[in-house]
Amino acid sequence: MTSDIRHKKMLTIDAKNVDFYYSEFHALKNINIEVEKNKVVALIGPSGCGKSTFLRLLNRMNDLIDGTRMTGSVLIEGKDIYAPNIHVDELRKEVGMVFQKPNPFPKSIFENVAYGLRVNGIKDKTFIEERVIESIKSAALWNEVKDKLNKSAFALSGGQQQRLCIARALAISPKVLLMDEPASALDPISTSKIEELIYELKKDYTIMIVTHNMQQASRVSDKTAYFYLGEMIEYDDTIKIFTNPTELSTQNYITGRFG
Amino acid sequence: MTPIINTGNIDRKKRISQGVAFTIFKLMSYSVVAMLILILGFIVSKGIGAISWDFLTKAPEEGMTKGGIFPAIVGTLCLVAGSSLFSFPIGIMSGIYMNEYATGNKVATFIRIMTNNLSGVPSVVFGLFGMSLFVNTMKFGDSILAGSLTLGLLSLPLVIRTTEESLKAIDNSYREGSLALGATKLQTIQKVVLPMAFPNIITGLILSIGRVSGETAPILFTVAAYFLPKLPTSIFDQVMALPYHLYVISTSGTDIEASRGIAYGTALVLIVIVLIVNLLANFLRNYFSKKVKTN
Repeated sequence: MTSDIRHKKMLTIDAKNVDFYYSEFHALKNINIEVEKNKVVALIGPSGCGKSTFLRLLNRMNDLIDGTRMTGSVLIEGKDIYAPNIHVDELRKEVGMVFQKPNPFPKSIFENVAYGLRVNGIKDKTFIEERVIESIKSAALWNEVKDKLNKSAFALSGGQQQRLCIARALAISPKVLLMDEPASALDPISTSKIEELIYELKKDYTIMIVTHNMQQASRVSDKTAYFYLGEMIEYDDTIKIFTNPTELSTQNYITGRFG
Repeated sequence: MTPIINTGNIDRKKRISQGVAFTIFKLMSYSVVAMLILILGFIVSKGIGAISWDFLTKAPEEGMTKGGIFPAIVGTLCLVAGSSLFSFPIGIMSGIYMNEYATGNKVATFIRIMTNNLSGVPSVVFGLFGMSLFVNTMKFGDSILAGSLTLGLLSLPLVIRTTEESLKAIDNSYREGSLALGATKLQTIQKVVLPMAFPNIITGLILSIGRVSGETAPILFTVAAYFLPKLPTSIFDQVMALPYHLYVISTSGTDIEASRGIAYGTALVLIVIVLIVNLLANFLRNYFSKKVKTN
């Protein structure tokens, strides 16, 4: 019993018996997944398998969609994020997210990164400035934008915009970083930059990434979960999933036989 | 695959039918422009003779067959300002509520259906309603206040609709991006959604001004004076207004034939005001959409 509690405390993400419905559609079926601190977990599977839906459960982004329903529990650092006393805006400070399409705000580069700080009530100018610079550096974007922090974020390239969105997410120092196909809209060079970045960020954050790119999953992640038709078929060390998967379905998918 | 069998002169036929179709489309769209130019040209050629500095700055004289239309211009401006004060805040906030807070729920659908119905109500019905409610029941009398409220009601559906449409045009990914950073819904609306939607909202507002300034029926029983050469001093005064003045001197003036020139002059002033308002709308939209991008 006590050892069980201690074990649970080490987990950053702990989803138990999660079922999720879009109205009548049963999108996730009994998902159980445990993620330790400072690990990168890749979610793979064919389109519509529920991996993005699962990712969006972790910062309660699905709350925005009408007619959805969830059962089961999701603990982040031991806290049930679906408990009635949880405020979503506070949760989302802990669980940052990077979206598939770069979505910088129509503001300057500086203001994009400062946004999360400002909406969370931080007014100290020097703190904001330091934090913005630090975040842009962490997102490996500093050298490219240091001379034009006051220029519009829209003037950046797609890959730069995506790294700006990562910087924006880092600025509020989340514990978990969710990435929903962060490189799918980018060219190969930008993609490899994002992948290097994920490798760096692992030191400070726990990361969950949805990807359609098998090489990417195998390169960046420690563990991989394979989703199919709303079920998690297999969840194991990435090296195991990609060399010797237990399930035939997993093997078929990663070898490109379907999906 | 087997190659497609030669189907005779089908290629030529489809190109000809495309050519014919687009020629018809082109003629139709040109004819719209031609009609507009015709109307404008007609009003300008008939009305330009009446325009003078005195016409714009003096009150009507001699049974409205001479003099100017200054009180009517001022009256219309008062009504536009008054109705905007009423319809803009209510309309914008309703639009925000419907698109940002109550998406898809029954209340929003109900409000949407009602506002759509409201926009289909003939303007003379608004006039009657305004008279009954504002003039008689609330005892505002025939006044700028009663007329502004009536015109405000009339333009409310338009304001709500443009606000809602402008907000709808903002990609959801911006809202998600903001919410994912721990912003509340209100912060997201204030700091991200509204600034992005602003250029289109302002265009809608200005177009509703154009609409309001040309309406006759709603002011008929609520504010418009047949002849009132002095300017209003309070919101409980009656005023003259351009569209009603135009109606009066064309149908029931003291000497309709003698005031023909003035009627066309008034029409020209009204059209120019609406035109300026529309150009302003375009200018502001371009200005603000540039500003939003770079700021």
